Amino acid sequence: MKQEETTPEQRPPARLPLWANPRIGLVVLLIALIALFTTLRPAFLNTQLTLVPMQADISVYAVVGLSQLAVLSLGHMNMAVGRMAAMSAFASGLLHDRLDAPLLVALAGGLAVGALLGALAGLVISRTGVNSFVVTLALDFALIGLVSLLYATFTDGVAFNGLPAGMSALRTDTFADYCAGDVCGPEIPLLAPIALIAVLGVGLLFRWSRVGREVLMTGANAKAAELSGIPVRWRVVQAHALSGLLAGLAGFLLSANNGSFSAGVGDGFLLPSFLAPVLGGTLLVGGAVSVLGTVLGTAITQVIYKGLNLLQFQVDELKLYIGLVLLAALSLDRLRHVLAERRGVPA
Amino acid sequence: MLLAEGLTKSFPGVRALDGATLRLAAGSVHALLGENGAGKSTLVKILTGVYRPDAGRVVLDGRDVHFGGPLEALHAGIGVVHQERNLVPEFSIAENIALQHLPNRLGMVDRNRMRAEARRCLGLLDLDLDPDTRVAELSVAQAQLVEIAKALSVDTRVLLLDEPTASLTGDEADRLYAIVRKLTATGHAVVLVSHKLEEVFAVADTVTVLRDGRSVAEAQPLAGYTRDEIVDLMVGRAYASVELTARTVDRTATPALELAGLSTRHGHRDVSLTVARGEILGLYGLVGAGRTELAKALLGLDEITGGEVRVHGAPVRIRDVGQALRRHRIGYVPEDRKGEGLFLEQPITRNVGVTVWRRLARFGLIPDRAERDVVAEYTRLLGIRAASPAQLAGQLSGGNQQKVSLAKWLAASCDILIVDEPTVGIDVRTKAAFHELIARLAGQGMAILLISSDLPEIVTLADRIAVMGDAAVRGELANDRDYDAVSQRVIRLIHAAPVPA
Repeated sequence: MKQEETTPEQRPPARLPLWANPRIGLVVLLIALIALFTTLRPAFLNTQLTLVPMQADISVYAVVGLSQLAVLSLGHMNMAVGRMAAMSAFASGLLHDRLDAPLLVALAGGLAVGALLGALAGLVISRTGVNSFVVTLALDFALIGLVSLLYATFTDGVAFNGLPAGMSALRTDTFADYCAGDVCGPEIPLLAPIALIAVLGVGLLFRWSRVGREVLMTGANAKAAELSGIPVRWRVVQAHALSGLLAGLAGFLLSANNGSFSAGVGDGFLLPSFLAPVLGGTLLVGGAVSVLGTVLGTAITQVIYKGLNLLQFQVDELKLYIGLVLLAALSLDRLRHVLAERRGVPA
Repeated sequence: MLLAEGLTKSFPGVRALDGATLRLAAGSVHALLGENGAGKSTLVKILTGVYRPDAGRVVLDGRDVHFGGPLEALHAGIGVVHQERNLVPEFSIAENIALQHLPNRLGMVDRNRMRAEARRCLGLLDLDLDPDTRVAELSVAQAQLVEIAKALSVDTRVLLLDEPTASLTGDEADRLYAIVRKLTATGHAVVLVSHKLEEVFAVADTVTVLRDGRSVAEAQPLAGYTRDEIVDLMVGRAYASVELTARTVDRTATPALELAGLSTRHGHRDVSLTVARGEILGLYGLVGAGRTELAKALLGLDEITGGEVRVHGAPVRIRDVGQALRRHRIGYVPEDRKGEGLFLEQPITRNVGVTVWRRLARFGLIPDRAERDVVAEYTRLLGIRAASPAQLAGQLSGGNQQKVSLAKWLAASCDILIVDEPTVGIDVRTKAAFHELIARLAGQGMAILLISSDLPEIVTLADRIAVMGDAAVRGELANDRDYDAVSQRVIRLIHAAPVPA
């Protein structure tokens, strides 16, 4: 039986070098970037000027990344993340403006609209078999028109006046503003725990829940998934609905951050939505996701934004550098896969 | 004519070839045999320029040759038909045949010459196909023959066939081998790599047996060996043919699975079959007879237009695989294990666990420990050899992959199992282990519908054999395991005129 001892499956699994672990690499990169920007501009560690707004931005864009991750799990794309967020924010704004709905009701209404739009996209994709890129791109196009039409009809401009009670606190306050006696909270904006709940929920879903795992299996091999008894079409609809829901949540968080429900919410969501999951090691082909990586990817993107901003780079230059980071991340990802394949271990 | 001597090739952790030698004479069919992992594919890939050997030399017509790539080997006159399909489905037959050397005129593809060339190649094989047909529209068997035509399109003198009949049966395999004979008669040398020893003995003149990367028999006349001696050489130890213990089937009880006059949208007419508890019903037929399609219609993947399916006596309507599994405990091990049976990029754990998550879940969440226990149990039960349960299914050998594909249905405690071509491309020893396993499952009371194009396999395993042709059952017979007698009756059923409905 000599031959059996030498077949690859009999050897203990080799390990990839540490630098090829995407999460550890990202943490190192994050620390290096913070150190770099702090050296160049000590104001980078200024709490009020930089750290608090940056945390708020990370909260918003982490949820944006999760929204894309929800369909990347299937190997699908959601090109309409921005417009789903805009529609959701519009619904929240309308509920407050016309029905005087309180914060939570407005939020719930917005999330429902996002989830419904996502489910609609998922339904079209699973029924017709048309590529998700095409379907969501078309949906995005239609919603661009609809959003401006709706704002023109229901507001006197491009935004609702006024916010539900408590929403401005989400924008301005940190936990340091809430004290029990002498003990005050840390300098963390109130948006952060909302994003954290989303992160934990999505993480739990894909790691331990049956539905999340079945979505991943559908992404890995739809044919085998169907022949293993997974309701493939329903899982596609669910994943897209989740994507819509998270887009809606991101829209709400951004509206809170901006201080109004406006038509411009979600305009800049598309690139960051791909950037964060891909930086974090989520595959574009489906079947594997990294929620933690998405958060780290978001953090890195925002640190670069803020850092370059402090160094007084122009907006166009910012875009150039972010684009380069994305390319570098994809190349590293490819390298990691080649390496994993050569060593015969999971990437 | 062709001599490959002392070939050595190592991959990280594995020495695939260790001084193997292959000697070919013009005008003969040379069988290259060996178990999975013995080095056959590596040897074929060196001869066709895909790999460069670490040591050793290849001599063609007395001259040393070094192939820098597959194209150079092709132009030297070595053609190959790989085990995997290598045609572009969306291209026409003519385009596929001419792919590596498109005839051009003024920089544009010369379509007329391309078609003429394709017709000539198809003509060599007596194939009556329109060169403009898209390959996607061909049956598996036709596509296989087109690949051979493609390999012959250059002035090929050595033709390597890697498992050419894996997806063919009866007629088609015979036709293929008739063509092989014709090629050798015109001075071609043919190397045949196959797991089907019956075919090898029927066709080949000489044999080379590889074991652990070394040639343990070099270009010997095949007539000097018996089947068992060849198997001994391959396995390296005395090998006993599987003698399965006889099972007793209670045929008076309500059948576990019963198809009564079933018609489907695919074109099945009036199909009636019964499988009892503890029984293996062999479903034999030519490729394209509609056996896989019948299984899929049964699982709700295609529309049933007439007749009735009964499970344990009760009429049922199955909408999808999930329902078949949960409500009726029917499992299906597909023929295409890489495409349909497995999630290649996922770990073994998930591949096996996928059918039991619903059972294990507490409040929608799956406890790791419960899943690990289930997977460990079935990994042990089926003897799946892997470095760890976290290993990706795609990295396992063919036999172990098939076990994983089967394990998920056993884990889901099915009591009716449809197994579609379970041992295609699996080596002799693993195949025997598989046969024992399937027989044991039936012995434990499972009802098994075994779809196979491998007649010896059917005769070894089945209690009864149903023969299918043109989407209808041609006949059914009891299997007394006397291979010669049973196979003759089966073949006669296949060639019988279709029974008028």
